[in-house]
Amino acid sequence: MTKKKSIFTQEVIVGIVLVALYFIFRTISSDFGKYTTFLSMMDISYYYALMAIGVAFPLITGGVDLSIGTGMICYALAGGCLIRFYNVPTGLAMLVSILFGLGIGLANGVLISVMGLPPFLATLCTCMITRGLGSVVTGSFAIPWPTAKQDNGWFHSIFKITLADKTKLPLGLVWIILLMLIMQFVLAHTRFGRYTIAIGSNKEAAILSGINVKFYHIMVYAVSGLFAGLASIAYAAVIKTVQPGTGAGMELDAIGGAIVGGVSASGGYGTIYGTVIGAYVILFLKQGLPYIGFNANMQQIITGFVLIGAVTIDIIKRKVIK
Amino acid sequence: MGEVILTMKNIDKSFPGVHALDHVDFELKRGEVHALMGENGAGKSTLMKVLTGIYTKDSGTITYEGREVEFHNTHDAQAAGIVIVHQELNMVGDLTVAQNIFIGREFKKGFMIDDRKMIQESKKLFDELHINIDPKAKMSDLTVGKQQMCEIAKAISHQAKVIIFDEPSAALTEKEIEDLFAIIRDLRKQNLGIIYISHRMDEIKVITDRVTVMRDGAYVGTLITDECTKEDIINMMVGRVIYEDPKTHSMVPADAPVVLKVEHLNAGKMVQDVSFELRKGEILGFSGLMGAGRTEMARALFGADPKTGGDIYINGKKVTINSPEDAVKNGIGYLSEDRKRFGIVVQKTITENSTLATLPKYMSGLFINKGAEKEVTEQYIKELDTKTPSADQLVVNLSGGNQQKVVIAKWLVRNCDILIFDEPTRGIDVGAKNEIYKLMNRLAAEGKSIIMISSEMTEILRMSDRIIVMCEGKKTGEISIEEATQEAIMDKATRDIK
Amino acid sequence: MKKKMLAVMMSAMLVGSLMAVPAFAAENLSDTTEGIAQFDGLEAKEAYDFQIVVKSFQSTYWQAALQGMDQAAEELGVTYSAQGPASESDIADQVNMLNSAINGAPAGVGLAACDTSSVLESLQDAADAGVPIVAFDTGIADAPEGSVVCTVVTDNTAAGEVAAVNLYEAVKDQLGNGTVRIGEINQDNYALNIQQRGLGFINKLIELAAADGYTVAMEGNEFYVDAAEGAVEGDADIILEVRVPAQTTVDLCSTEAGTILDKEDTIAVFGSNQTAAEGLLVANDNREVLGDTVVGVGFDAGTSIKAAVEDGTFLGAVTQSPLMMGYYCIYALTAAANGEELIDVPTDGYWYDASNMDDENIAPNLYD
Repeated sequence: MTKKKSIFTQEVIVGIVLVALYFIFRTISSDFGKYTTFLSMMDISYYYALMAIGVAFPLITGGVDLSIGTGMICYALAGGCLIRFYNVPTGLAMLVSILFGLGIGLANGVLISVMGLPPFLATLCTCMITRGLGSVVTGSFAIPWPTAKQDNGWFHSIFKITLADKTKLPLGLVWIILLMLIMQFVLAHTRFGRYTIAIGSNKEAAILSGINVKFYHIMVYAVSGLFAGLASIAYAAVIKTVQPGTGAGMELDAIGGAIVGGVSASGGYGTIYGTVIGAYVILFLKQGLPYIGFNANMQQIITGFVLIGAVTIDIIKRKVIK
Repeated sequence: MGEVILTMKNIDKSFPGVHALDHVDFELKRGEVHALMGENGAGKSTLMKVLTGIYTKDSGTITYEGREVEFHNTHDAQAAGIVIVHQELNMVGDLTVAQNIFIGREFKKGFMIDDRKMIQESKKLFDELHINIDPKAKMSDLTVGKQQMCEIAKAISHQAKVIIFDEPSAALTEKEIEDLFAIIRDLRKQNLGIIYISHRMDEIKVITDRVTVMRDGAYVGTLITDECTKEDIINMMVGRVIYEDPKTHSMVPADAPVVLKVEHLNAGKMVQDVSFELRKGEILGFSGLMGAGRTEMARALFGADPKTGGDIYINGKKVTINSPEDAVKNGIGYLSEDRKRFGIVVQKTITENSTLATLPKYMSGLFINKGAEKEVTEQYIKELDTKTPSADQLVVNLSGGNQQKVVIAKWLVRNCDILIFDEPTRGIDVGAKNEIYKLMNRLAAEGKSIIMISSEMTEILRMSDRIIVMCEGKKTGEISIEEATQEAIMDKATRDIK
Repeated sequence: MKKKMLAVMMSAMLVGSLMAVPAFAAENLSDTTEGIAQFDGLEAKEAYDFQIVVKSFQSTYWQAALQGMDQAAEELGVTYSAQGPASESDIADQVNMLNSAINGAPAGVGLAACDTSSVLESLQDAADAGVPIVAFDTGIADAPEGSVVCTVVTDNTAAGEVAAVNLYEAVKDQLGNGTVRIGEINQDNYALNIQQRGLGFINKLIELAAADGYTVAMEGNEFYVDAAEGAVEGDADIILEVRVPAQTTVDLCSTEAGTILDKEDTIAVFGSNQTAAEGLLVANDNREVLGDTVVGVGFDAGTSIKAAVEDGTFLGAVTQSPLMMGYYCIYALTAAANGEELIDVPTDGYWYDASNMDDENIAPNLYD
């Protein structure tokens, strides 16, 4: 009765696409293959990957979290402010940024799960709120985080370490892979993960099974917020000067990455490793296309088509199963 | 029968505008199967939802195992040993069978879910129930019947003391129903209290010990099953005798023209080389067990699913039907068995649903002619005796039978000549059933041609002019109503099943 | 709290900078005395309330401008309220803000236009309603008659030129031994000040190269390639590559900068505003070629750019004086509200590098 599973799942296909993209870009542009280019790409990838891991959970429940992009900037601004104006130790400020993210995530969860707002609407509201809040907490000032050379700039080495011979290693990639594995485990082998899928697949059934759906639904958005908080640290480490008012649109790259990576646009299915691979596909397009002579407008068009392709695969896959 | 395990007294519940439960009493003993009957909208489901904590009662008391209780959610009720097997399938399609059975109370190893133990336990459970299902299969890959069995297994696995079956047989084949009854008898032996909600009179007689009847949200009475007749129960439910005999001969004139001819229709595994003719004014019954491919045949014919081969002729002319739009253009209407998913837009009003497929007819220039729209809707509300305060009522607030009437109205408004009724009375109470039968007969007499897919033998025998039997995707028989017997149909429906 | 701290800090700087009227030769880009002199003894006839519409609050540059406005408003006893869109790309938002500002019939509107052509209709409305407009930061070339009464801007063309002069000086020894590449990152190709700055740099560089007998070929963004004067087609001694990101964000600027820094023949790069220069620094983080094999030149200030100039990553940068721009914007608005005729006020732009960063004429304009 059970079908043999094809090894060509969307995750595998997207993984192949990722590798293929890398080698295509390399072949066309020798500069793209440089280690430093790779390092720069990794730098920028961390916050997108973190956002994508987080937002995969709301997506799997059939929801969405639009607040992660502006939220990430808002949390980075808040942390930066503490360091700059209140001489708060960097570690504590980072914690505040992360908890801020968690708090907004919880707020999203309450709005959606308890108050019953549609996820799109609830997170659109918090998207606007965090965008404005970022300006309010900083008094509209752009906030620089400490540079790597400053005393309290140690947090840069979380994401990138420089060896004695000046070789730089993208340490952040290790954390991304580690978090990916942890969250994949959480999704596949814990109650939280299972209920996330259950809510996305058949929320009514989950409720009638006696699951505390309200609680888990809140937690789903809390995870998304938490990862936006983590992303804010990665963002501050790379971009250094955080500008209020930015961040809108970044969530779409993260969401797009998750969808490309096989998370079902209608909920009920998804993997975290697929999500991360998908996020890197989007990033490779963003970063690679300028190298092979496409301007940034073209890359947005191409990314759009890649998304259509990914969603089409999802739809065809579901039809074939039926 | 043992001592009383559950007593519900004076239960009262109101929703805005509806007095759903009017001081209802109910009593259940250990080791009894207690039928809860009543027309749709009589309040059976509401009463059970109050019992299991989905709804909060306005007043009244629930005494369970000698203590007064009040459950705040299904989890509380489950923990106390009261579980419900739902009428609508409540399975998470993207999870496996084992994951579904233990959802909400997973075995854990540390903070990790112990999937292996869950699979083992599921296997044990299935063995006990003599069900052959792979616990690792994805739920959405199972047939409806097997999903239902999982639902039952899940309920039983809760160390339950009281199990509520909410129309469990609606989706099951005769064989599966027998298995179910065996399970229920077994549970009764183990001294569990069982509440059995069903519309099928014959089942009630076979399996239950007592019957409690409700009508319009109120308690009518409780009977001992052995001491009453079907007519007694029906009289309590509707207040009148409405039993009709099977059709004895075809109502179709001998010279009625063929309006629809299907030749060698193929659509995947479930529809293999099906050919038949439908004549003007005929009710053509499609009989067969669950999964025989009747719905699939209808969907392929209607263009809702892709065909892999076959020709369709309407009034002798070959037509191409690749989408429901094509089908409708050719005068074919389809009333789905799954109303909520395919038949109606539940969040819209009756009026909007009725004219959804025919909106261009009700346009004055750019605008919808609300007056004309309402007029025709009200006409059909009256004709079909749809129970609703007004045509502006949201469909979601109607009972199942009344929702079905709205779907029928939608196609009648459309004036289709060929109507496919897929399980037209599924989940509909006896009174409403009768009305729908009368309506179908009237439509046929008016010259419409009807394909009726039904899993209820009495319905097939009562309504059809001719019967086609399907089994595992193939047409296995064609019987005129004069020759049709239950045995003859069942013989063809199970031909390949050993 | 922090806001106040910064305000005090900036006010202190401002007083210093205003007292020291710029009086230096090479770095001072334009003559400012005449424009400033018209405000001698200016007093507000009423307690005017002005509306200010800035490009955004994205960079500290705009904060410095607002601090200058605060100072002037206090001196003159007038008030203002400022607004701006979330990012400099939100052109439509800014037009809406401008329209509502004009509809409120204020004593005057100070405007730093994100997109100069998009505001023309609104400016016509302002002219019809008799609301005087002072354009600051960005000049509006085709402003309708009677709308813009005074323009308070850095001479952006000259600012771009001074970047070209200093950059060329640093690299000219490497010219003549095969083709080399010089890059320019512009955050957009629609704002007039960025256009002027970018083209000022391009045209000056072509001119300086030509004077030494070298040819320049253009590559990259079509707007700048087409607008460059005196470039050659095909083989040349210098390839001048102009890159523009899709949106005005640091990370997109950094990708564009990365493509230039990765090219073997690149010898110098210019980032033409704070966002572009910060993007350049982000791209350099991993490559570490600026200040080593590639000459970097920035624009404006801000913590990271100042640090880069200080430690030699950047050869130097050009700064405007946002404080003074804001300051004189309020003066011009007040004078216009008084009914005076005004001449344009060009404000200063300065070249700064590690050697003169702490000069009293320079330091106050180097906001964080």
